[in-house]
Amino acid sequence: MTQNTMRLTVNGKAYDVDAAPDTALLYVLRNDLVLNGPKYGCGLGECGACAVLIDGVAARSCVIPIEGCAGRDIVTLEGLGTREHPDPVQQAFISEQAAQCGYCLNGMIITTKALLLRSPHPTEDEVLEALRHHLCRCGAHIEIMRAAMRAAGHVVEAQT
Amino acid sequence: MTGPDTTEHRERLQGSLSVVRPASPVEAVKFETFIKITADGSVTAYNGHVDLGTGIRTALGQIVAEELDVSFARVVVVLGDTALVPNQGATIASETIQITAVPLRKAAAQARQFLVARAAERLELPIEDFVIEDGLIRGKDNRSVSYGELIAGETIRLELADDVPVKAVSAYNIVGQSIPRVDLPAKATGELVYVHDVRVSGMLHGRVVRPPYAGVDAGDFIGNSLIAVDEASVRDIPGLVAVVRIGDFVGVVAEREENAIKAAAQLKVSWKPVPTLPDLKDIETALRANPSTPRTLINKGDVDAAIAAAAKPMPRTYIWPYQMHASIGPSCAVADYQDDHTRVWSGTQNPHHLRTDLARLIHRREAEIEVIRLEAAGCYGRNCADDVSADAVLLSRAVGRPVRVQLTREQEHAWEPKGTAQLMDVDGGLNADGSVAGYDFATRYPSNGAPTLALLLTGAVPHTPAIFEMGDRTAIPPYDYENLRVVANDMPPIARASWLRGVSALPNTFAHESWIDECASEAGVDPIEYRLRYLKDPRAIDLVNAVAERAGWKPRPVRPEREAEGDIVRGRGFAYALYVHSKFPGYGAAWSAWIADVAVNKATGDVSVTRVVAGQDSGLMINPDGVRHQIHGNVIQSTSRALMEEVSFDRTSVTAREWGAYPIIKFPEVPDIDVLMLPRQDQPPLGVGESASVPSAAAIANAIYDATGVRFRELPFTPERILRGLRGEELAAHQALPPPESRPDLSRWQNPFAGRRGVFATAAALCAAAIGIGAAVLPWRAIAPIARPDASVYSAATIARGQQLAALGDCAVCHTSVNGLLNAGGRPLQTPFGTIYATNITPDVETGIGAWSYPAFERAMREGIHRDGRHLYPAFPYPHFAKTTDADMQALYAYLMAQAPVRAETPQNVIAFPFNLRPLMAGWNALFHQPTVFQPDPAKSEIWNRGAYLVEGLGHCSACHSPRNALGAEKANAYLAGGFAEGWEAPALTSLSQAPIPWSEDELYAYLRTGESRFHGVAAGPMAPVVKELATIPDSDIRAMAVYLASFNEVSMDRAAQEALAARLESSTGTRASAASGVGARIYQGACAVCHEVGGAPLFGSRPSLALNSNLHSTAPDNLIQVILHGIAKPATTDLGYMPAFKDSLTDGQIAELATYLRRQFAPDKPAWTDVQAAISRIRQE
Repeated sequence: MTQNTMRLTVNGKAYDVDAAPDTALLYVLRNDLVLNGPKYGCGLGECGACAVLIDGVAARSCVIPIEGCAGRDIVTLEGLGTREHPDPVQQAFISEQAAQCGYCLNGMIITTKALLLRSPHPTEDEVLEALRHHLCRCGAHIEIMRAAMRAAGHVVEAQT
Repeated sequence: MTGPDTTEHRERLQGSLSVVRPASPVEAVKFETFIKITADGSVTAYNGHVDLGTGIRTALGQIVAEELDVSFARVVVVLGDTALVPNQGATIASETIQITAVPLRKAAAQARQFLVARAAERLELPIEDFVIEDGLIRGKDNRSVSYGELIAGETIRLELADDVPVKAVSAYNIVGQSIPRVDLPAKATGELVYVHDVRVSGMLHGRVVRPPYAGVDAGDFIGNSLIAVDEASVRDIPGLVAVVRIGDFVGVVAEREENAIKAAAQLKVSWKPVPTLPDLKDIETALRANPSTPRTLINKGDVDAAIAAAAKPMPRTYIWPYQMHASIGPSCAVADYQDDHTRVWSGTQNPHHLRTDLARLIHRREAEIEVIRLEAAGCYGRNCADDVSADAVLLSRAVGRPVRVQLTREQEHAWEPKGTAQLMDVDGGLNADGSVAGYDFATRYPSNGAPTLALLLTGAVPHTPAIFEMGDRTAIPPYDYENLRVVANDMPPIARASWLRGVSALPNTFAHESWIDECASEAGVDPIEYRLRYLKDPRAIDLVNAVAERAGWKPRPVRPEREAEGDIVRGRGFAYALYVHSKFPGYGAAWSAWIADVAVNKATGDVSVTRVVAGQDSGLMINPDGVRHQIHGNVIQSTSRALMEEVSFDRTSVTAREWGAYPIIKFPEVPDIDVLMLPRQDQPPLGVGESASVPSAAAIANAIYDATGVRFRELPFTPERILRGLRGEELAAHQALPPPESRPDLSRWQNPFAGRRGVFATAAALCAAAIGIGAAVLPWRAIAPIARPDASVYSAATIARGQQLAALGDCAVCHTSVNGLLNAGGRPLQTPFGTIYATNITPDVETGIGAWSYPAFERAMREGIHRDGRHLYPAFPYPHFAKTTDADMQALYAYLMAQAPVRAETPQNVIAFPFNLRPLMAGWNALFHQPTVFQPDPAKSEIWNRGAYLVEGLGHCSACHSPRNALGAEKANAYLAGGFAEGWEAPALTSLSQAPIPWSEDELYAYLRTGESRFHGVAAGPMAPVVKELATIPDSDIRAMAVYLASFNEVSMDRAAQEALAARLESSTGTRASAASGVGARIYQGACAVCHEVGGAPLFGSRPSLALNSNLHSTAPDNLIQVILHGIAKPATTDLGYMPAFKDSLTDGQIAELATYLRRQFAPDKPAWTDVQAAISRIRQE
């Protein structure tokens, strides 16, 4: 333990991290904890690629230093589920083929999860609002919306 | 039976069947492999193209599985590793399925043919009798043999043949099925390794520092603009490994990524002045002035004569802006430089071409370099993926270890080779019967291939601009005009530019399809019917008719005047294109046609694309869902480009460096999309990666014309452009603001504890001042130093009480330097009179206050006199501390003496004459200081008096929140009327507050306790640490402070009234209903709204409401500018969350636009701030 050691709880496990307290959570998750889910997109909290859950609320890990995360419960995409046992939200995104390059996918899934945690049966407008500040450049919006609606328990009609 | 673990089994597994072709001499290997089947029956397919997120990995696997008659799951597709895959050129022009899959398919068929023939021999059965299922060949007699068994231990290599029969489409089982993409389960669970996720043992982190000519790559200044790199400027960065400089290439390498980021931000680099760019706000002028070489693509009939004779001349000009690829993930690469084998993990779209560039960069043979392609963020053309790969190689070579380089968002935005601006001139005309007399089309396309940046920056390739002949894509219109001439004016780049989805075809089609729509309108013919008169391609005609039918197109020979629903008018537009790409004359990808429905708000200029019917003839669709998703993606991305995308420049560089300044479409703006895919499974497969983008802009422009009767010939269709078009050139004036108000009278409240001074008192004070000057020659008597007192004489309770008082007094806030030890001093305080350094107040005997007796401490606190007799400056707020009771003073002393001593010399103050004459302070004290202990006001309540003691005493609130006079003393008659501290405004805390909702006791309490008031905002700047310090003060004292401060706000408003007013202010200033018109509004939507828009989805931290925020309603923009520039890195409590700093992402001009917009939007009853830009540059300097 050095002066900089900080304890973080990520995906249910405690980690002691040696990093300056002002280090953005994103870099610690990716480099120290070897988690690939959260992605660097803008460093300004604008695009949403870096989203994680902090105490069950969506958070942009590129703008939150680890000193703000002490004593909080952090969950990343990896903490939701695995290929073998995906979270229902992840499964909905896989079922709807809701990605092209998939770089934004982490944020889309995390935010949908956060929405469902606070509102288990959101309307379409609520889903749109939740995803508003998540950018997708490939134009997978239609599939992402279908996936989020499906995860929210709506019946999504097949496309013809 | 042979068990899987026996030697015999393992030997059998060594055999393989490959289909290959001879490799080029530059390769380290003799053969390029397309298909390899191993003895265990697994199939690997190799393709030189890469998956840019479009799903071709899955589609190629389907093609191979189909042709080989194996299950889809058996096939592994390897893409883009230069050591493994054939060199098939760059992944461009939607060619993978249409072109590069062809040899792969043949290779699979060839392998199958070989194996079937061998099976016939082995089983002695005729080929016609075989049934093949998942690589198992079965004869009619039910005997069978697998591919693996046929290969066994042999190494079989077949040279790829061109004349192998492939399977009939009618026999397809796998191709044509919507097989789910193989990559998505891993992507959805964080298990896929993107290039950003590559971790190599011993890997370091690099960042590059780019030159100031951001986004420009042609000119003699490229590669020789660097003057100096000051390595000392980053010496304090932990784990810094190297600063690398080669020509204009500058990079840093550190052990940890965050330290590489810090080093890149902190490194001082000086550059030569940057040459001026043409004014790219005026694309048309800039492109006309750019030198060009005409290249005639077609010249049919007698164009000049036909147009000269036309009854109705139709000359038109269409303008396309610079646009971005705008990949969501800035480019990243890892390189491991080794003398004989350098490996580069890259997100490139052209691994082999990149390898050639890298060989040139580091003077190595191509065979010594391996480019390993991993998935990256979608790129849609040439982004910075190659640049960053080369950067990583240079940094790895410099430090001798693997280095990962991640470009910043700002670098990707500024430097990515843009989709170029383009200018399309049409000369043409109609005959009297409405038919087209002639079409004379000229396009100007300034672009090169955007050479890999490190080559230019290091001087490895010359900076002379190359010219790429790429303006010719779909330059020939699809219509059979009798007199037709098309000229491509090839020209060098202005800004760095290369290909972006749809390349020049999208702009060219914008012109072709707008112009024919204009002609139809002139001729009084339905726009679709008019097109069909000139369209000869039967598949095109089928598609156009099918799309018209699907959308329920109603023929409209004359544009009907659209009935408005309120401010909204609706319209519908058509456009068609066959995307013809690749080197001229090129060839066609899929056919595409759009019918777009728009809603135009005539009051705001906002255009919404509500629905698109997108029809496509893709030939054989390998994976129909994959095709559908490509159509969706193209429709959404190109709608975004048409409506809102335009790169901004100043006169030296790209200024759009984040998503506010370069917005892309958001979920609520996405149109409904109805995809119509023509069943053409009997036709060869065509590229579908770009086609559906090509008709977009024209279809939307035609729909806007249908809605409004106004023709727009320049993109993007922003609200400002639409309003200008609807109202003529007259700019839609923003709602006028109220005139600037005169400076408010601050003398509303008198400090209740300031003594009144008459003429005599002032005269006496002036005398004292004179004595003070006199005293300069007679130094004050020092109080003798003592041995460091033993803190153990004080009780723990006293020390704890002292600690609270120290927190109330914010001792540590001023007496601790940034990243310094607590109370060890050294923090510079900027005052109007000079820089004063806070002293060391730890009990170190030599450098701190360890030698101070209590009387010396008390005298300093009450009279502002140092132990040695020098006067202290009132930046140290002793006029307030003097009010402290003896008991509290002793407790504070006890606490300070109980700290660990820290040896730290305090730097010399830098004070201008005459303020550097400390004895003058005696006069100052006589004028402004009353060294008396707090006396309660018997007329007031106990709690009020308690609050007054805390606020006026150690709390010293008015030291910042009251204005000061010319001599730096608080103005007693403008008590708490607002002041400035450390570049931040300390707003009025009285009824003079500019906040729209007056301060109340409860809100003051909430703010001081939690750092946030729902009706005012969060503590930031110098106030954040104040609230943080107050955390140890009991609720009752915070409440008392709130009671006292609230007494200077005579307007009382109960909670319900506050809530109602807040709701009214928030709803009247909400931005959801209005169009994002103007730069400021767009930056707000892209950068601020995510955390500040009322009603937005919850995010970690608070959501300060801008409509209520004191700073937006203040007479000074300073706090708003401060917080935009520097963010909130140290909030009062972590629950409040953090705000990023935008100083490196937004220009002064953009911040000025943003601040002006925020003021207008959220404080609409307040006058506009003046000189915002000057304030920004002043605050940046501070």
